[in-house]
Amino acid sequence: MLEAARSQWHPIAAAHDLPFRHVFHGQLLGREFAVWRADDGYINIWENRCLHRGVRLSIGINDGRELKCQYHGWRYSNRTAGCTYIPAHPADAPARTITNRTFPAVERYGLVWSSEEPLGEVPDVAGLAEGKLLALRGIPVNAPADKVVEKLKAYRFQPTGAIDGNGAEIAVEAAQDFAVALRSRAGAAETVGVFFVQPVDSNRSVIRGVLDQDAEGAARIAILRHHNERLSKLRDEVERDVANAPAPAPIEPIYERVSAELAEMPELTAHGRKAALRVAVARKWRTADGIAGFELRPVKGILPTFQPGAHIDVHMPNGEIRQYSITNGPGETGSFTIGVKLEPDSKGGSKCMHETVREGDVLAISEPRNNFPLRRDAIKTIFVAGGIGITPLLAMAQALKNQELTHELHYFAQGEQHLAFADRLAELGDALKPHLGLSPDATGAELRRVLAEYRNGMHLYICGPGPMLEAARRIAAEQGWPDSAVHFEYFKNTNKIDDSSSFEVALARSCVTLQVPAGKTILQVMRESGIDVPSSCEQGACGTCVATVIEGEPDHQDVYLNDAERKAGTKIMTCVSRAKSARLVLDI
Amino acid sequence: MITLYDYELSGNCYKLRLLMSILGIDHKTVPVDFYPGREHKSEWFLKLNPLGQLPVIDDDGLVLRDAQAILVYLASKYDPSGTWYPRENPALLGEISQWLAFADGITGTASAARLHDALFYDFDIDAARAGAHRLFRILDEHLWFVEQEGRQWICSAPQPTIADIACFPYIMLSEEGGISRQDYPAIRRWCDRVKRIKGFIVMSGVFPAGPARAAA
Repeated sequence: MLEAARSQWHPIAAAHDLPFRHVFHGQLLGREFAVWRADDGYINIWENRCLHRGVRLSIGINDGRELKCQYHGWRYSNRTAGCTYIPAHPADAPARTITNRTFPAVERYGLVWSSEEPLGEVPDVAGLAEGKLLALRGIPVNAPADKVVEKLKAYRFQPTGAIDGNGAEIAVEAAQDFAVALRSRAGAAETVGVFFVQPVDSNRSVIRGVLDQDAEGAARIAILRHHNERLSKLRDEVERDVANAPAPAPIEPIYERVSAELAEMPELTAHGRKAALRVAVARKWRTADGIAGFELRPVKGILPTFQPGAHIDVHMPNGEIRQYSITNGPGETGSFTIGVKLEPDSKGGSKCMHETVREGDVLAISEPRNNFPLRRDAIKTIFVAGGIGITPLLAMAQALKNQELTHELHYFAQGEQHLAFADRLAELGDALKPHLGLSPDATGAELRRVLAEYRNGMHLYICGPGPMLEAARRIAAEQGWPDSAVHFEYFKNTNKIDDSSSFEVALARSCVTLQVPAGKTILQVMRESGIDVPSSCEQGACGTCVATVIEGEPDHQDVYLNDAERKAGTKIMTCVSRAKSARLVLDI
Repeated sequence: MITLYDYELSGNCYKLRLLMSILGIDHKTVPVDFYPGREHKSEWFLKLNPLGQLPVIDDDGLVLRDAQAILVYLASKYDPSGTWYPRENPALLGEISQWLAFADGITGTASAARLHDALFYDFDIDAARAGAHRLFRILDEHLWFVEQEGRQWICSAPQPTIADIACFPYIMLSEEGGISRQDYPAIRRWCDRVKRIKGFIVMSGVFPAGPARAAA
């Protein structure tokens, strides 16, 4: 019976067991769950163990958007259960494989339902209509579910209208492996009670009763007490009955390693840039002068985990591919929201998004990639956004706001009408500092003021147009900010690429040596030889195609690496950078 | 100045530190080597408390023993709001005393199980655990109806009382004695509420809660 139970839906909690900011400790057929309701109402049912050290997540902290493990502070996102932050690696983006196992959750009849491998939907229960039901207190019983169901068939209770009486007639309306429906009648009063039995483990159950009618005030409490008293007595009887029989062995849950979907390698494609996800444009709107907002919803399933600072590749109907930052706050995983500025000299990207793409259209996008990760250990974080450069910083500011970490978002724009995502900005409160209509000189002066007081432990994140970004980096350096505290993301690489050199590239892990001729990039040559390397912008701005240099001197032509990283010579962007030495050895 | 004779891992000492933190009572602590030194059975300590039990306080010469008694004293003397032990409300005082006695029951079962598992005390572990589960069932049922009636705390006052402080520590530490709280969801939610009281502090084995959701 318990084997068949795996494919059935079972109640695992009452809806009232899941207040906001709480983690419920549940169990079904031997498998423990951490169950939590996010602030957006979504119910998460997860394997009850942190992927790091196996500590129970049911003792973790539900911050409304993410669940934080108590042990080493790993954070997991609402809905996807993907890891978004590892405090011991504050500068890194967690791998997508760090995703906890999730189980389906459905709220129905005042109960929360789940299943290990459900066949079909949560069953309709005859006699229970949504809306005017009364969920009773769950009664845990130390006995096998079948013994409890057997006992429930003889359960006696008064109908709701005659709660103080005695001797109501009881009829068994239906009985199944894990539920009994009873009708109680006394005169004109009549109540149907459905009593589900949750198989917690081989020798433990919870009785979850639902009545077909609600009540108010004192009458409601009297009904709840009536059933609590009688079901507790029934529990005591079942527990006495089974006390002398040997307890069956507990069920051993099977723990999946990494899910098959996460473990498989992505397919090879000719151009190397993957767009595995299909999303529909759920909403397109003008969020500021010249800036369109797009809300992208998955066509099926759920979207993968993103972290603040992450971007996606959008593959457009005209064949162009562009990168856009995800502006979502933490735990907001039902859709991705991006902002697209119409560039006057558009080569087809922003023009297509503005003019061709409409609500309802389906687009192909890549998985989110995070080459602009946010540390959450700064004593204070300063964000400097210029124009559409707000998008990644907006996601970051929302994450810090949710964790109540100190930050300021300085948003430079031409005017009020150029401030995008006003609703998200409003939620940041005093942390938002708009700077409107400043000339380049005045912007410089303002940046000097904003970046005046560097202290050890502060971090700066900059995103905006090239000249402004350069100015902010320069001013930060002048005022004592070390390279390691200044993080930036360019929209594009405006450097003139010199691809006249030719050199040899040895790929140490692949045991292959390749010749890179003038006019071809390292990335192209690798791909032609069948070596798959991830890439995104392919112009040296986003950081996706980074490789580690083991030997040789790189000729950096990107705008991703900072000065210290360039000098160190241990990293190279394979899409634009080349070699000054005759030979480069890469860790690929 | 109050002196607390304290053992870091004792839930009964922690409940006094907890109330003093919430009420902002300045105090100092004298550590007593309960384990392995058994200093609470030493000659000098038996002069303070012939029962040889922690905690003990000394408030300017007034020496008091027994965690629940000390909670009553501290709240009566140092809580200007008068809500933690409302001396003017006999019905509530009756309720509080009833749950202080219940807290002693928790010490006799859940704490005993923890002493057995963690500090190798020679107790009947099965009886201790069964006793704790019997009490937890009663408290979970009580707190479930408290929620259904729109209240939050063990006693019927709109604010927490020393009854909440008295019951909290050894419930929170029960898993160290092999007593799971999985079957007591209303107790688990109440624990979150206690952890959100302003001035709440932790001890080893007691983890903090995150902030409550801001009112929309």
